[in-house]
Amino acid sequence: MSRSIFLRGVLLAGVALLLLAAPRVLSIVQTRMLTEIAYFALFAVSYNFLFGWAGLLSFGHAAYFGLGAYVTAISLKHVAGLHLLAGMGLGGLAAALGGAVIGFFCVRRKGSYFALLTLAFNQFLWAIAWKWREVTGGDDGIGRIIPRKPVDMGFFYLDLTKIPNKYYFTMAVVVIFLAIGWYLLRTPFGNTIQVVKVNEERAAFLGYNVNRSKLLIFTLAAFYAGIAGSLFALFQDFVATSAIGLGMSTEVLFMAFLGGTGSYFGPMLGAAIFVYFTDWISSITEHWEFFLGVLFIILVLYFHRGFIGLIPSKVRAVFAAGE
Amino acid sequence: MAILEVKNLHKDFSGLKVLFGIDLRLEEGDRHAVIGPNGAGKSTLFNLITGKYVPTRGQVLFDGQDITGFPPHRVARLGLARSFQITNIFRTMTVFQNVRNAVLSRKGIRYQVFSRLSSLTWVNDEVDSILSQIGLLDRRNVAAGELAHGQQRALEIGLTLALDPKLILLDEPTAGMSSSESRDTVSLIERVTRGRTLVIVEHDMDVVFRIANRITVIYYGKVLASGPPEEIRNDQRVKDAYLGEERT
Repeated sequence: MSRSIFLRGVLLAGVALLLLAAPRVLSIVQTRMLTEIAYFALFAVSYNFLFGWAGLLSFGHAAYFGLGAYVTAISLKHVAGLHLLAGMGLGGLAAALGGAVIGFFCVRRKGSYFALLTLAFNQFLWAIAWKWREVTGGDDGIGRIIPRKPVDMGFFYLDLTKIPNKYYFTMAVVVIFLAIGWYLLRTPFGNTIQVVKVNEERAAFLGYNVNRSKLLIFTLAAFYAGIAGSLFALFQDFVATSAIGLGMSTEVLFMAFLGGTGSYFGPMLGAAIFVYFTDWISSITEHWEFFLGVLFIILVLYFHRGFIGLIPSKVRAVFAAGE
Repeated sequence: MAILEVKNLHKDFSGLKVLFGIDLRLEEGDRHAVIGPNGAGKSTLFNLITGKYVPTRGQVLFDGQDITGFPPHRVARLGLARSFQITNIFRTMTVFQNVRNAVLSRKGIRYQVFSRLSSLTWVNDEVDSILSQIGLLDRRNVAAGELAHGQQRALEIGLTLALDPKLILLDEPTAGMSSSESRDTVSLIERVTRGRTLVIVEHDMDVVFRIANRITVIYYGKVLASGPPEEIRNDQRVKDAYLGEERT
């Protein structure tokens, strides 16, 4: 027991050191890629709040990623003097609100009806982003979002125009939210979410309000997706309809399954593999989406547990201790 | 005051009338058995009382409160708990976690986020005490789905018991059991439900006459007879409709 705590401590310290040192060792291109992995990891984990922990298969999770991205971009651009963090907070809250409203309708449906309803709402929001040009810029999108002047963060100034700074900022936000999420799933609230997943009917007859539990995790997942989306908007310094499109909904599903939906860390691994794989394969062939499809088929047919399932269980136990 | 009162309960399933005009009255401390041939509507009655279905007509009063049409979680929170005819447990969770889920819900600890579940150790003693009552303490860390059939049935009852309910509804607790398993389950029920108000649906007449002090016979969606066991045993209509059927 104490040995595994020690191992985990060493592991965490090692990872922290690597993440801190990364921009000094890596090239700018690689640092950019690592930043991308970070916010997609948060997005994929938020997807797994729904699928892995609550058993809810969503085909429309980009709705909340997109809401976060758009609201952050629009508010930072149009509200003079709005602080960067306030803009991000607004993005997250807008996504949570969207999740609460859409979730209210979705959680009352089961299985494929739930999935199709999430898809329909996603498409609906995408259409708004596409058509409402005055606000969203339509397919031209919104550019020049991040503040050009360094942002006062209380005890230091943050210049987000520099790639390493973007990396550190994104990574800090992602790590904080991942840690909070990890904790939340281990509270009685997190247990309730899993109780409802494992046996909905019995949960209800034990006094658990099934719909409320699903709505709470749906809203939390939307909030997390919104924060990931706002990081995406800041990183790209640009938001267009692709952020809220069904392609993005498919990609996050792919990332989560690629890494493995059975553990908290799986989707992070999935996000990393996805970003690296698409970058590598698209540098070789312009038909990269074809190979992505092949990879997904192989995954579904032969590796249900995702890539994390390939890691020996003893090594995994160090990561997963306390789960 | 009656703890449970069912008044003129009707249920149609898209035109098919399953129950028409059921009345039932339970005083505190009653041990009430509901019997009747297959398809008589016993399980439907349970499902209407506990909120799985909404009655087409009629009323369900629990502890003086009208609970007609309440969803299952609200009925459970009021102190009316049920078990299921087909084992309905958290199969991928351990036996301990199963019972803890029920205890946490009873304590109202459902959405708490201020502490980790593993740090709420004071819950554990209570869970273990229930596990020892149902004889599963030595199986506490086994996944519930891996238990033997009889043990799963015991856990089924344990989940119900862990809600510390004012009224327990047991839906065929000995379903699919061998006669020795059935005997064990009956003594388990007698032991853990002592002093509690109980409604039991059961096919096995030995079980019924051993546990119940009142019996209601349902026959094709109606109450055929209701009264103490001796009266029911000697009721000619019941003999014709139900007990007689078994002898031929």
